Amino acid sequence: MKFHEMLQRRLLFAAAACFCTLVALPTVFAQEKGADDKKEDEKKDADKKDGDAKKKEEDKWFAVTHADLYTGTGARFRDATVLAKNGKIEKIGVEVDLPEGTTVLDAGGLVVYPGLVAYSSNGLFGAASSDFADSVNTFSPNLVMALGNGITTTGQSGAALKLKRGEIDGVLMKDKATTLLNFSAQNPQGRRSLLDKFAATSQYLRDYRAWEEKKKNDKDLKEPAKKDSDATILQILKGEILARFQSDDRDELLGIARLAQKYGFRPVIEGCREGWTIAEELGRAGAYAVVTPRDRVDKSEELVAAGGTSIENAAILRAHGVQIAIVPSGKSVDLGGIAGRDILALTVEAGFGVRGGLTNDAALEAITIVPARLLGVDHRVGSLEVGKDCDLIVCDGDIMHYETFVQQAVVDGKVVYEKNKELFYAHIRPRNDSALAPETRVDKGQEQPEKTAAAAESKDDAKKDEKKSDKPDKKEEKKD
Amino acid sequence: MKLRNLLTSCAALVVASIASAGDLVAIKAGHVETVSHGCIQHAVILVEDGKIVTIGRDLPIERGIPVIDAPDLWVVPGFVDPYSRVGLEARGGSDFNPQIHAEIELFPRNTDYAETLKAGVTTLGLYPPGGGGMPGQACVVRPKGDTAKDMLIKSGAYVLFVFRADARSKKMLKDAFEKATEYTDKEKKAREKFEKDASKKKDDKKEEKKDEKKEEKKEGEKEASPSALQDGAQDDAAAQDKKDEKTEKTDAAKGYVAPEADEKVKPFLDLRAGKLRILVTIFGAGDWLHFAQALGDEKVGVDLRVPLTRDTDMFEVAKAIGEKKLRVLMEPEITTTPGTLRQRNLPAEFVAAGAKLVLLPRGDSPFAFKTWPRAVGEIISAGLDRNVALRAMTLEPAEMLGVADRVGSIDKGKDANLLFFSGDPFEPTSKLKAVMLEGRIVHGEVQQ
Repeated sequence: MKFHEMLQRRLLFAAAACFCTLVALPTVFAQEKGADDKKEDEKKDADKKDGDAKKKEEDKWFAVTHADLYTGTGARFRDATVLAKNGKIEKIGVEVDLPEGTTVLDAGGLVVYPGLVAYSSNGLFGAASSDFADSVNTFSPNLVMALGNGITTTGQSGAALKLKRGEIDGVLMKDKATTLLNFSAQNPQGRRSLLDKFAATSQYLRDYRAWEEKKKNDKDLKEPAKKDSDATILQILKGEILARFQSDDRDELLGIARLAQKYGFRPVIEGCREGWTIAEELGRAGAYAVVTPRDRVDKSEELVAAGGTSIENAAILRAHGVQIAIVPSGKSVDLGGIAGRDILALTVEAGFGVRGGLTNDAALEAITIVPARLLGVDHRVGSLEVGKDCDLIVCDGDIMHYETFVQQAVVDGKVVYEKNKELFYAHIRPRNDSALAPETRVDKGQEQPEKTAAAAESKDDAKKDEKKSDKPDKKEEKKD
Repeated sequence: MKLRNLLTSCAALVVASIASAGDLVAIKAGHVETVSHGCIQHAVILVEDGKIVTIGRDLPIERGIPVIDAPDLWVVPGFVDPYSRVGLEARGGSDFNPQIHAEIELFPRNTDYAETLKAGVTTLGLYPPGGGGMPGQACVVRPKGDTAKDMLIKSGAYVLFVFRADARSKKMLKDAFEKATEYTDKEKKAREKFEKDASKKKDDKKEEKKDEKKEEKKEGEKEASPSALQDGAQDDAAAQDKKDEKTEKTDAAKGYVAPEADEKVKPFLDLRAGKLRILVTIFGAGDWLHFAQALGDEKVGVDLRVPLTRDTDMFEVAKAIGEKKLRVLMEPEITTTPGTLRQRNLPAEFVAAGAKLVLLPRGDSPFAFKTWPRAVGEIISAGLDRNVALRAMTLEPAEMLGVADRVGSIDKGKDANLLFFSGDPFEPTSKLKAVMLEGRIVHGEVQQ
């Protein structure tokens, strides 16, 4: 109370003296309103301050430090830090100050990549196959294994899903980004009707745009009839949704490329085995190709032209401007047969792309940002940039090397997988015994505890500061 | 010595005075597990008219009272199986029928009930049929009786919800509560309207009221007869008169009849009012997340059933469930972490996390009932606390069913449902010698 009275006196004085006093300014107006209002305002202010304090307390800071960092945007850092606030990347850099209470993951001697994006998978979320928001099982062992192989985002049935272990909020990132069109040569009727639809819709869109233009002058002008135009194709032509094709055959691919060029949309082509033979056309069409570099099919002997698969497919397509996403031949986690062909072999598959001439960066893009783009979530995942989700993986080597293991997987600024704590790979080359294990960091002459080391330090510093600052204050008081 | 004798005779007199009232029997047992207040050695239980009158150590017994002398036997409360379909044969789908009561299926002559009783299960919670959705409400019965009415102890013990992580289940729950909210709003509006109308007419009514009161009093006098029911009616009338005098202002609400709620909405009003609980069957950790999300902030009494008949990953959410202090119904099974050979004692894990535990028999067959204590013994040997285990077969399910004032423990005032074992009930060598249901030996023999 005394404090309040003092404050009021001070305020009165300030109000009488001048309106410029910084401290008094907000409450001066309050005084004009009347005593009751003022009290309320004060309360509100107090609430606000409390609220702010709470917010600050609730803010969850997470940082990966001392990492060899591949951001996925071309930029690479040595000894870098990624700092995330409430799951979103706040800062990336070499010298980043960590706020108090930051959970720190020391990646000294390790390589950090953006979390991988599987263009398409099956069965990572239990039995869920549709209505993902209401049916995903995020405790599924398959999900943990996928995390253990670096996958933090996946497509399933056209939806983009995040591998948030043990949580269901935020798993479904996007419902549908692509629509499947049938342009198969074995279905000439379907192809014919598709072409007709494109023609009609394109005509409608042109008429509609003309009408929009003319409407400005003549308000009574009638809106063009939709006639045979197709709603989905309209979305494609407007660029709201991506048209997806499943095709491997050279002639079909050529057809798709020309269709896309004619109507000005960018096709997503799954398979695209013989794409390398007509890479120029596909590049001109601005196509995306979802390829499996290890695919092996002989060329059709009836054809004279080049055909069949090529290990160079991805590299050639990419050289001609086609954006490449890489997927393994199996979509699900497969524990039978020969290992290394299922969804868990995503990085191995990308490695085969490199073998065929794809650059390392392009191969990494093919399992991160490009599939993220195809799933319509490239604004959130696929690369490490400020403002994006803090989904990353910490590896003990090049991600596309067969020897490399994911040591930790982080989703939304939370460690969701640790190799040495899970059943699956903990026993294989445990890191301390590994020949690849980095030297222990001894910069400061002592080993740091793993978590919140920086926080503890800063706390200590703060305490020291307090002690220092306390003493002079007291002296001053005495002087007064 | 004399003083002691005097005291004993005094105590005996007290016992005798109760004895004179009716059907009386005293039980002397070497070892009594009361569940509610520990184990009593050399205990005496006095039973009158099927109820436990007193229980204590070495109580004196008046001569002439028949005594069941069992110095070597262990006495425990009758087992309570809250989740059973013994003797019920209907089949159900996966629809939304929360208004259906399981007791409509009761067929008292079914011989299964005798078998159940023989195994020491003296109270059953019977649930309605259905493999999904909300099949209806469970009832509590004693497995003995000539008619369904004789068997029934309580109707509407809990509403069953077989939850699967899909859009349908979640929508079912959300819609049900939404409809309950709709009804509450409607009811509120109707009452407000009624009160408005009533206050308008208030002035006119004031004069009429006096006459009404007189009439009511006359009616009360007319009905004045020794019958208990009518006594009650008279009391009510008197109480109403008093109310009338005291609260003339709130009189507007008098005569107001709330609009009838839909039969499918009613259970959810009861749930919100705390009159009913909901038993949710979930199959895995993922189901729990989805159920918790669908339930939202709704504050209702929730119990969970987790079938351990197959391996489940429920350990992933044991902590979350334990923190909420929920009750979990499980079979006494050792499961393995899915996809591995790592054994887990999930009942013990949930207890350690803070959850309340109810242990169920492995099925509804006589064999499952007979081997129930032995199966529980196995998970006790695997680390579950023995007292928690015994409670999980008696008092905990009784509390869940809302009949803990009658069964579940050996306490004054409760039904004399007692089991006489030759030793510790959880030892495989122990045998169930006799079963007492509400003061009567219904199976086996004991020395009189």
